[in-house]
Amino acid sequence: MNISTKKWLILKYSSAILIPLMLWFIINLVSIYDSEYIEVVEFFSSQVSKVLFSLFLVFSFTFSCLTISEIFEDYIHSEKIKNVANKSLNIFAIVVPLITIISIFNLTI
Amino acid sequence: MFEKNPLTPHLQIYKWQISSLLSISHRITGIINIIAITLICFWIIYLLLGQTSYEIIKLFLRSFFGKFIIIGLCWSFSFHILNEIRHLSWDLGYGFDLKTSKITGVLALAGSFVLAILIFLFGKNII
Repeated sequence: MNISTKKWLILKYSSAILIPLMLWFIINLVSIYDSEYIEVVEFFSSQVSKVLFSLFLVFSFTFSCLTISEIFEDYIHSEKIKNVANKSLNIFAIVVPLITIISIFNLTI
Repeated sequence: MFEKNPLTPHLQIYKWQISSLLSISHRITGIINIIAITLICFWIIYLLLGQTSYEIIKLFLRSFFGKFIIIGLCWSFSFHILNEIRHLSWDLGYGFDLKTSKITGVLALAGSFVLAILIFLFGKNII
């Protein structure tokens, strides 16, 4: 399978998976954003939240990484700058969710 | 050869219409969403520092500006969800003709405001 076809399929599958996860997350964000520290920690410490939020992060960063690289493809002329931008984006899309997921699994009430 | 890679024409070249407006809005809201998700990641990492350090974030989120950001995010997520459903239906071969795509475009835009309100009310246990 062509690499572009693979990227496109990953993009489409991740967007389909992201729709219910986005709804779940934004509703819960509204319910906890102004809560006390203990309530926020309680939310992120529950097993369901840990799993769903980790999935949300993995799929949202994968999806964003692929779509932003398309924007680079559309608007950045120089191949060198495009490669640097894509590599930085890939590192960012791995490091940020990874540290956050580790943090969530280390959160205790 | 690579230096002459053709680029997408810049925004000024297009005649504004619902399809181009939604296309660029979809990209902009996507970028806003990932910036917000990144900030939320930092918010969660910050939780590890303990309750005392969290007070300043709590004060910010409870301020008018904090509420404004959360309500804005409700709309941004809603718009992205509805427009993504529109894109997925195109990928499955539905709704690609001009008239239908204009109608679904208007529905996605108008629906995003309704969905944002519903998300906020649902999140706050008002409905």
